[in-house]
Amino acid sequence: MAAAQPGRQKERGTTGNFSSLRRSSTALGWAAAVIGPAIISSLDLLANRPSPRIIGFLLLLAVALAANLGGFWPGLFATLLATVTLDFFYTPPRHDIVPGTGDEFAGVALFFVVAVLISQLFVRRRAVQRESEAATARANRLQRVTARLAEAMTPQAVLDAVVTEGVEAAEARAGAIGLLAADGETVEIVAARGYDSDAFSGWETFPLSSETPMAEAIRDRESFFFDTTAERDARFPSMAGIQGPSHGLAILPLLVEGRAIGGIAFTFRTEVEFDDHRRALKATLAQQAAQALERVRLYQAERALRERMTFLADASELLGSSLDYEATLTQLARLAVPGMATWCAIDIVVPDGSVRRLAVAHEDPARVAWAERLGEEYPPDPDAPMGVHNVLRTQTAEFVPEIPQELLEQAARGDERLLRIVRELGLRSAITVPLVARGRALGAVTLIRDDTAPRYTELDLDLASELARRAAAAIDNATLYREAERRGNASRALAHVDDGVVLLDEEGAVVSINPAAARILSVDESAVVGEDPAATIPSWAAIEQNARPDPGRTRGPVALPLLAEGGGEQWISVSGVAFGDGIVYALRDVTEERLLERDRSDFVATASHELRTPLAAVLGAVKTIRRTDVTIDPEQREALMEMIDREAERLSGIVGQILLAGQLDSGRLHLAVEQFDPVALTRSVVDSAELHLPADIDLRILVPGDVPPVAGDANQLRQVLTNLVDNAVKYSPQGGEVELRLARNGQFARIEVSDNGLGIPGDEHERIFEKFYRLDPGLTRGVNGTGLGLYISKELVERMSGRISVRSELGRGSTFVVEVPLAV
Amino acid sequence: MLVADDEPPIRLLCEVNLSLAGMEVLQASDGEEALAAARSQAPDIILLDLMMPRVDGWTVAQKLAEDERTSGIPFLFLTARATPADRRRAEALGALGYILKPFDPVRLAPVVAEVVARCRLGETDAIRRERPATLWPADLDDG
Repeated sequence: MAAAQPGRQKERGTTGNFSSLRRSSTALGWAAAVIGPAIISSLDLLANRPSPRIIGFLLLLAVALAANLGGFWPGLFATLLATVTLDFFYTPPRHDIVPGTGDEFAGVALFFVVAVLISQLFVRRRAVQRESEAATARANRLQRVTARLAEAMTPQAVLDAVVTEGVEAAEARAGAIGLLAADGETVEIVAARGYDSDAFSGWETFPLSSETPMAEAIRDRESFFFDTTAERDARFPSMAGIQGPSHGLAILPLLVEGRAIGGIAFTFRTEVEFDDHRRALKATLAQQAAQALERVRLYQAERALRERMTFLADASELLGSSLDYEATLTQLARLAVPGMATWCAIDIVVPDGSVRRLAVAHEDPARVAWAERLGEEYPPDPDAPMGVHNVLRTQTAEFVPEIPQELLEQAARGDERLLRIVRELGLRSAITVPLVARGRALGAVTLIRDDTAPRYTELDLDLASELARRAAAAIDNATLYREAERRGNASRALAHVDDGVVLLDEEGAVVSINPAAARILSVDESAVVGEDPAATIPSWAAIEQNARPDPGRTRGPVALPLLAEGGGEQWISVSGVAFGDGIVYALRDVTEERLLERDRSDFVATASHELRTPLAAVLGAVKTIRRTDVTIDPEQREALMEMIDREAERLSGIVGQILLAGQLDSGRLHLAVEQFDPVALTRSVVDSAELHLPADIDLRILVPGDVPPVAGDANQLRQVLTNLVDNAVKYSPQGGEVELRLARNGQFARIEVSDNGLGIPGDEHERIFEKFYRLDPGLTRGVNGTGLGLYISKELVERMSGRISVRSELGRGSTFVVEVPLAV
Repeated sequence: MLVADDEPPIRLLCEVNLSLAGMEVLQASDGEEALAAARSQAPDIILLDLMMPRVDGWTVAQKLAEDERTSGIPFLFLTARATPADRRRAEALGALGYILKPFDPVRLAPVVAEVVARCRLGETDAIRRERPATLWPADLDDG
């Protein structure tokens, strides 16, 4: 320690006043010793001289005064002077120093003895009084120290009290207090007074293990009292280099419950003899200081703890108050300043995995805006070895109690401007804690204190970690809640969509099945949930086989035929998606689409085939007739010409049917409503058919009674009847009878067209009226057709508010029945 | 040669043009007739429709192959069925060609004549391997 520098500062305060008072008192003593006897001797000049007894009494009074005021030497001097005065002036022979008689000598001697005794008496009294005054002053000083210490509520106030009052109380020139740092290895000079401003340069902190009086005092819990510099240097040779006049030095440990929390040093102006009193006083001061420091420390710790608990409670309340965790975290950052941090920043991991700064807080909003701009200008380096990204990566807190310059330089990444800004901020201490929930880093909270606030301690780290734990739990809860809510919404939505959704868990049991899926699969939701679908859903095997995805993959969509209820045809489109917690199957009933698709493809195949044959005939005939390389026989030529005519008609008929079917489909066909005679119409149909009737067909018409006029489209009904007659002829390849019968049936005119040809099996009676439907080729004996005739007939008749049906048996011919409403 | 088709116009066209090319044209209006004619007359080549009453073209081709009297007779399909599946089936049955309706009967005559000539030289398998475009037209329906 550099505690022995020569004191150039003037001593001030009450100690100085005491000594000057003491000095003036001594002067007064001398004055009394000289002036008292002088005045008394001057009494000799008076005419009426006082008696020697009075003179003796006055002289003793002067001696007492001198001794009382001036102490021993003025007392002694006054005693001698008074004795000489009495002898010289008032003892016969007067004005002679030698006494006249033995009695007189005895009188002077007696006076002398009495004067000495009185002098001694007063000297002693004075010393006792002095001692008592000093003790009182010491007590007062100690009391003042105690009082100030009692008032002190901060470590700084304690230190001030100890070093100002304490130095005074110890009658020292200067004093200093060193405290053991939290690491237990370092002593830090936290307060000093009376020393040169540069006395501690380089000594602000020093290791506990160093060979210095204070370190040793703390280490060994032992006090050092050095009366002189030489004594100090003998004990601590390392301090011998420190120059200055020899002076006393006292260094004591600050003990709390036997534990050294630091040390206190007093440096004196001069050499000191450390008697028991002095040692005891210093020990008392050290003890008082130690207790005060400990009390303040406890108070501060308790208050900090309370503040922390309050902060944590407030933060918890805040975190629990809302599910909008982004807003909550922003408020949390604000709550942390300025108590917990000068700066608080919160970063969160957004769904795409990148890191977003959610909030920055500082007491001054202008600083926040500034920091946000700075953050945008200098985004954090994701690969930096320290910082938010590292904390998120490692899920471990970073705690930097004292930010070293190198770290700032490293953070500035060589940018001079950034480095200057960061330095000006005076960042002192930092904590970054990850927000971790269920093993996932959701974000990080960064707390930074600048040099106006104390460094962070392990306690702060604990608090920040606890805060982070709660915040992460709150985020997690909010996310889970949102997720649950979203799932709730999703499940409500699923209940209303037409697409089926079946969710399986990891074990393959059904977690949920929406109404559409239950409908498509013809199952009851309650019978399926929680069960193995293979056991409860009839068509599940096919679905699994065709759409079960590999883990993490998607499969499908694929169209599958299912066995529908009632034996009908049902097609579903199914796709499977494997995700973390199971598999979801999406089902759609595509029966309609499938049928439409088949219709389309049937149409293409049928139309293509039906058009190709007559086209081949027409084209082939034309090409043959136009041959120039050979001469075609005129008979053959005529046959070809006739063929062109007939096949072109056939082609035209097919095209007409296709167009008509298209018009019926699109609803573009408008039927006339007219009144006409069905009998005349039927006869004309028969007449036309007769023209190209095969020779083995016998076509007849039977009208047993009156048939009134009907209402409808005569042309279209002709088309229907022509088609039915053509069919009857076509499907009678072996020849036979085709009979048309007309009769009234209630409010309808009934026209029956019968043949005794191939016939139609019973289960086909409905389907022959479907578009493009054709009987099995084996049953049609090669009879061609577009598959549109009966479809068109049915559509037309029904649009005239009529009906069409068939009675038939395989091999026994067919009877088609058309009913058209009568005209009213 | 034999042409088997239930449509009289097709038979007429073949008869006119192939006769003019110097071939004798036999006719059958369904599969049964075709098989009977093939067995009894042993034509050099058969033009076979697919959609015929009673016995269709597929069956005729199969039965021709099963019967040792007729298994050596080369045949071409002459059909309105224009799907790729049909053509693959024809190929599998050993047809020398698959001619789609409508077709040009004038150009068909020399093609058939050449096939007959080459078959007589024992190049039946070579024609199958070559798959000449004249016998395997590409314009099929996608349905």
